[in-house]
Amino acid sequence: MKTINFAIDLGTTNSLVAKYDNGKIKIFNNPLGLKQTLPSCIAFRGNRIVIGDKALDYLEKDAENVCMLFKRKMGTQDTYFVPSLNKEMQPIELSSLVLKELKNFLPDDETLNSVVITIPAAFDTIQSNATKKAGYLAGFKEVVLLQEPIAACLAFANNSNTEVKEKEYWIVYDFGGGTFDVALVEVDERELKVIDHQGDNYLGGADFDSLIVQHLIVPFIEEKTGQSDLWKSLKSKSSTHKGLYFELLKKAEEAKKELSNFEEAEIELDININDVNLYDHLVVKREVFENLILSNVENTVTIIKDIIKGNQLLNSDIKRVILIGGTTYIPLIKKSISSVIGVEVNSSIDPTSAVVEGAAYYAGSKPSELKEEEIIEIEQTYEEVAIAYKFFYEQNTRDSEELITAKFSGAAIDKYRIIRKDGGYDSGVKSLKNNSFSEFVPLLEGRLNQFKVQLLNADLEVLKVIDPLSINHGSYSVNGQPLPNDICMEVDDLDASATRLERIFAKGSILPLKKKIYKTASKTILKKSKSNLTINVIEGKSNGLPSSGLSIGYIEIFGEDLEDDLIKGTDIEIELEISESRELKINVYLQSCDQEFENVFSESERSISINKINTEINTVLGDVEAVIKTANSLENFEYSNKLESIRVGLIEIQIEASMLQDDDISDTKFQLDDKKRKLIQEFDDLTRNELVAKEIEEYNDIKVDLEYHLNQDENERFKTKYQRIIQNEKEVINSLDKYLIRSKIKELEELYNAIIQSSDENFISYYLGLKFYDNFTNKRKAEKLFEQGDKALEQKDYKVIRHVVYGLSALLPESERQKRKDFSDDSKTGLN
Amino acid sequence: MIEIINQIFALESKLLKNGNDDYSRNFDRIANEFKNLNYHVINPIGKSYRNEMTDVEASISGDLNKNSKITKVLKPIIYEVNGNETSLVQKGIVIVE
Repeated sequence: MKTINFAIDLGTTNSLVAKYDNGKIKIFNNPLGLKQTLPSCIAFRGNRIVIGDKALDYLEKDAENVCMLFKRKMGTQDTYFVPSLNKEMQPIELSSLVLKELKNFLPDDETLNSVVITIPAAFDTIQSNATKKAGYLAGFKEVVLLQEPIAACLAFANNSNTEVKEKEYWIVYDFGGGTFDVALVEVDERELKVIDHQGDNYLGGADFDSLIVQHLIVPFIEEKTGQSDLWKSLKSKSSTHKGLYFELLKKAEEAKKELSNFEEAEIELDININDVNLYDHLVVKREVFENLILSNVENTVTIIKDIIKGNQLLNSDIKRVILIGGTTYIPLIKKSISSVIGVEVNSSIDPTSAVVEGAAYYAGSKPSELKEEEIIEIEQTYEEVAIAYKFFYEQNTRDSEELITAKFSGAAIDKYRIIRKDGGYDSGVKSLKNNSFSEFVPLLEGRLNQFKVQLLNADLEVLKVIDPLSINHGSYSVNGQPLPNDICMEVDDLDASATRLERIFAKGSILPLKKKIYKTASKTILKKSKSNLTINVIEGKSNGLPSSGLSIGYIEIFGEDLEDDLIKGTDIEIELEISESRELKINVYLQSCDQEFENVFSESERSISINKINTEINTVLGDVEAVIKTANSLENFEYSNKLESIRVGLIEIQIEASMLQDDDISDTKFQLDDKKRKLIQEFDDLTRNELVAKEIEEYNDIKVDLEYHLNQDENERFKTKYQRIIQNEKEVINSLDKYLIRSKIKELEELYNAIIQSSDENFISYYLGLKFYDNFTNKRKAEKLFEQGDKALEQKDYKVIRHVVYGLSALLPESERQKRKDFSDDSKTGLN
Repeated sequence: MIEIINQIFALESKLLKNGNDDYSRNFDRIANEFKNLNYHVINPIGKSYRNEMTDVEASISGDLNKNSKITKVLKPIIYEVNGNETSLVQKGIVIVE
């Protein structure tokens, strides 16, 4: 049996859509608003239709073209004249627009043909039929109605597992942003029935915000500034303080929300009144706020009393009062009702979404009468729509806005809508002109901006969705000059006791470029000492060895330059700027010395230090020799010969360099540096693949180990994290950058350890693995531990296994981990 | 996290308003940390306001027209960045005049 599953709360001020899915309710978020609610408000602006939050923007400016609260007019002959369309709009049409907009909340793979729509208890047959009609107009094939108080009761019953055996009376108290309703519901084991209802269409939480502004904030401002008649002036149409009025309402609303949880709330004012700035705080106590709204709340409680009395019931006949609507967060409401009526007041369900949630439970149990053939037919109609289109737009740009132009032919497309998929832009529904449109869309700086384009017919039904159109901001422009190589900085790699390159600007980035990076000092440099900090900016491959690139900016900051000690671990701020003419500016700020160093480099004054050439060669020489040794032992002589010639070349450079003074002004040191780079690059190319291959192998190994554990049921929860880590695996491996791969391995290792340690049982396989070792440092002790372990295994005492594993691990000989090379302090950059 | 970003934003705005930019280095540093944590924070002050901007909640005073500008920002716009995917996590709260 197929059930309806979808439900819509078509509210006077706000609407929501939800789905019942296997006992769970999913309330859909507005893809453009982070919120579940869609304001039931529509603005007609020339050829553009705006629905929801953004329609409210036009309330002040263009009120006559904004339609809201039309639910109150459902089933009447009242219409809304919209001047910009020069057309009368019926409440049914307007409601159908809201319903269509709610369809957009659903992911693209969900289709909505059958739906439950909620209506107020007060709706008569004509109003109910009008709602149904709006549903059909919105394109639904099956519409079932449900009264809002019943939906709220269902939400309560399902959330609290309440069982009703005998007849009970419940009150549903619904206090929203703009309306107030009370319903008396009869509940028995078979059905829920609304037997009476009353309400006030012009009372809501927004009135309380206004009270706070009028009675608390305005007098406070008047007292501080000497201003008089501010309230009147704030509300006047010709007021100069209009912006202020809305700002104060926002602050009042925030304070109101805060007072639902705390005894007092602070309103911070930072405003300009008649060119005088007022910066002050106003503390509002809950008690004061409650006094302010007391009479309004009392009125609502009187309505409950009336309804009970009017149905010849006693307060004691009421089993419970269920609170819904955002305003019921205010504690005074709950307090007042329970003290006057004297029954359980329940606020356990979410007051904003209770109605749609209850309706979705109903939809989940209500069989759909829509026949399969009809559904297929609907789907076919959509599939048959053939549309030809062409889009024109710049895929890469540096402008903050970009023009999208499109041309269509084929089906009857009448309107379009462009949405930026991050939720930051919505063109609204607009009409095509001559089967085409041109639209400027705003872009997020430095990001890949993805758009979705909907094509609609005249009835605002979506015929086709084009998804995505991508525009990359900031990556390429025909006007700018791209960087031919990566620009990197040399930093310490403490794990490998070496230095490595960190990419600052990627190859292809457009000049000019500027970036601030933050590093920490990897060593302490005392003032007046000989120790130094090195900033070496290199142009070259970011995954190569530092000495293989071209140094385009080199700063050495010595202890004697410092006004204070540079302490290890403190921040070093480095700002790098490359102008269009490729001039490099480096600005270094040392936090612990509060000192700034600035250097500007241009190609003509490339600075090279003999000292630097020497230390670089020394570092590489060690590696070259090690690789030669391995190659010889594997009898790979061809390879070792190549390496040998590199070694000889490097030593020759060292000898030549030793004969130069550091202040030598000839070209020699540049030539030597050049030679050095070439040789190191050669070495790098020869060995890099092997190193990377090793890293990839290790990466795959740890993945296999991890996947074994992840396949155990108890480790299910780690799967998402694992997926997140390996998400960009392809990118990382293809980069052939060993540092990147290494960092991934580290992440996987951390996850592996977390899994192992999350449960004692995970130590079993570890324990069994250890049984194959026989080189424990203390065999007797190991045997004893194995005895304990076997016993524990038999008794399924996995805690003991864990301890045994720890004990045995301590008895393993120290792993053959590569010991840190003796790395002289001065060869480090000092940057971490 | 969002609330921390808001508080830092408020702190910076207050100091700048009083003509105090002694701490710009610290705020830049914090902004950089937010970026590393994949938050893209935007202060839209002074920008022209378009109704199509769904990343701000605007209180509009006076007539909304082409010259309408964002004159006050009570909360910044915050996007969360995840690889190539960007998603709005907080709408900016602004006053438009």
